[in-house]
Formats: sequence, structure tokens, C-alpha cells
Amino acid sequence: MKFVLVRQAAILAALALLPAAGQAIYFHDKISWRSAIAPSEMVTVEQARGWGDTAIWVDARPDDEFASDHVPGAISLNEDRWNELLPQFLAVWAPGKKIVVYCSSLSCNASREVARRLRKEAQLPEVFVLEGGWEAWLKKNR
Amino acid sequence: MKTPILAFTLSMIMCLGARAELKWEQTQIELHPAPNDKQAIGHFKYENTGSTPVHFKSVHASCGCTTAQTQKDIVPPGDKGEITATFNIGDRTGTQVKTVTVETDESPNQKTVLTLKAEIPQQLEVTPNFVFWKQGDKADTKTINVKAGKDFTVKHIKVTSSTADFQTKVEEAGSGQFKVDVKPQDTNKITASMLTIQPDDSQKVFYVTARITNGPMIPVAPIAPTAPARPSAPTGQTH
Repeated sequence: MKFVLVRQAAILAALALLPAAGQAIYFHDKISWRSAIAPSEMVTVEQARGWGDTAIWVDARPDDEFASDHVPGAISLNEDRWNELLPQFLAVWAPGKKIVVYCSSLSCNASREVARRLRKEAQLPEVFVLEGGWEAWLKKNR
Repeated sequence: MKTPILAFTLSMIMCLGARAELKWEQTQIELHPAPNDKQAIGHFKYENTGSTPVHFKSVHASCGCTTAQTQKDIVPPGDKGEITATFNIGDRTGTQVKTVTVETDESPNQKTVLTLKAEIPQQLEVTPNFVFWKQGDKADTKTINVKAGKDFTVKHIKVTSSTADFQTKVEEAGSGQFKVDVKPQDTNKITASMLTIQPDDSQKVFYVTARITNGPMIPVAPIAPTAPARPSAPTGQTH
């Protein structure tokens, strides 16, 4: 009886593996729409607020959302107008400053992309992505 | 003993048979926009192969840079149509993957994710696009690497500085690669300059910021490139 149960479990597991294997083959070269980011490059609202004036807040959301409301003192830097906005951001950056990039929520990707470009293209150190984005900041501050 | 396995297998087959009536021609589209294109548009075609109408409950793009439009809210049996996904490229570069999530009433929480992948061509790769010196630092030369993008041929580039505070010198390294040396005239003076890099035979301009900083909290007025006004991004989406 025990053997039969084990055998059945093994067969069911093998059946379950079939679609998993199919998915692995089909999606192996597909790119996730979210940029990968190391946990060390993420920061919580509490941590970022603790940095005080040593942090520059960067709003990666579109212009209209930034205009509607944003973290006090934040600078708008989105990919819609990257070439125009980047010099404005670089004008206020200074060595030793930490950069905290946020977008609208936990599921958004804009902050990750902006952070990636700041690290890679401008080669700036200490660039962090805010966990939970603007929604998380609102929860802690309103 | 084989009965449970048979029942399980049959239930799996039945589940597959009872799947969505809306058949998508493809759920992933790869686009290759031209260098100056402002948008990349994907057409996701579908057909209702079932016997009952299908209602679109929601169509939601993954980012504010993408909009999605349905031709109709209800798809009668046998009817065909498409969802048009428009990705506004802006100043994005490289591989961009955007998704549109479509929810229908075929079964509870029936969701289909449509993926739009766009390869944005980049004529030049400029790294880094920011060089700085601290006030009083030695006025060393800093080098910017410029490389022609994939599928582009660039023989010469022209570099100009918006102010005379920085000197630039271009060295051709061959195979579409260049080194741009940037040297400040004087690092005691807080200043910033916009360097423009333009490939030959092209109107496209790339920007590098050069700056003398004096530490935290003393901003220098930027010399931003001019850009045409853009329409606001659509609301109600996740950015």
C-alpha cells in the first residue's frame, strides 16, 4: 500500500513537472519586464528618511504625477525626458550624496530603470530604489 | 489504483478544454523602431472562437509610457479584433519590455498578459555622461568613451562645449570608437558645462555634463538641452 502511494505521488509529481518544463523551455529567452535589482540597492522609507539632508530624492514618475504631488525637495527625472532632466539633476548632485529613486508603487519599474541608468551612464555611486515607491512614502508621511 | 490518476489526467484535459474562448494570434510582439521613431506600436489580434460573447473587463498597461486601446468592449462569437498597444519611447534606450494585462469575463479572473518588446536603437553609447572635479582638485584630464551602436557606422564625431571652462579633444580609436578627453581650465571656479557630441551625417545629439563641484548643497544652474514639449502621460497606470 505504501509503495503504491509513493508511486502515485511520484507519477503526479512527474505530471506536474511537464508544464513546468515546457514553461522553462518557452520562457528561457524571455526578458522579465521588471529590472533585476540587488537587495542592497533597495532602501525603505524609514532608512531613507534617516539619511536626512545627505539624500537626494529622485521622482521617476511621469511629469503630470510629479506636478500633482511629490516628496518634498524631490527632483523629477524620468525617461520620457531623460536628456533634458538629467543635467538638472546633476546640477544639484554632490559627492557624498545618496540618491533615492522612487516611482509610484511596489510594482512599478521606472525607479529601477532610472537607478540603473544613473549607475551605468552617469556612473554615480550610492543609488538606491525606494521600496514601495510613492505609495509607501505616502503611508508613512500622511 | 489507476483510477485516481486517470481521473486527475481527465480533469486536467477538461480544464484545458474549458479554457478561454478568446484566442490570441500572439501574446508577444517584438518591435524594432527606427532611430528617430517616437512610438512603437504593437497589434495584438484575437478571435472569439467560443459560443458566447466575451466582455473586456479591464485593459491595464504596466507603465505610463504605454497605452492600450480595445476596438470594442464586447466580442461576439466568431468576431475578430485587436488590442493596440502604443509605447511612447521618450528618451529610453536599449531593450524595453512593456506589458498590457487584459481581463475578460471568460472565467473568474481570466487575465492575459500581452508583452511588447522593443529594441530601441542607440546610435552612440557615451560612457560616462557625467564628469566632475571637486573644487581645488588637480585639473586632470578625464576620458569619455564613445562607441557606435550596433548596426551603426560612425566615422567621425564633433564635440562642442557650451562654455570655455572645459577643453575637449577627440581621439579616434577605430571601429567606431572614440575617446573624448575633457580637461577643466580651472578647478577653483565652480562651473558646469554641457558637452554636445554629434556623429557625422546625423542630426542626433548626445549630451555630457562636466562640472566643478564644491561639495554638498551648492547647486549650479544647469545648461539643459532644449526639447520639445511632450504631451502628458496617461493617468491611471503604474509607473
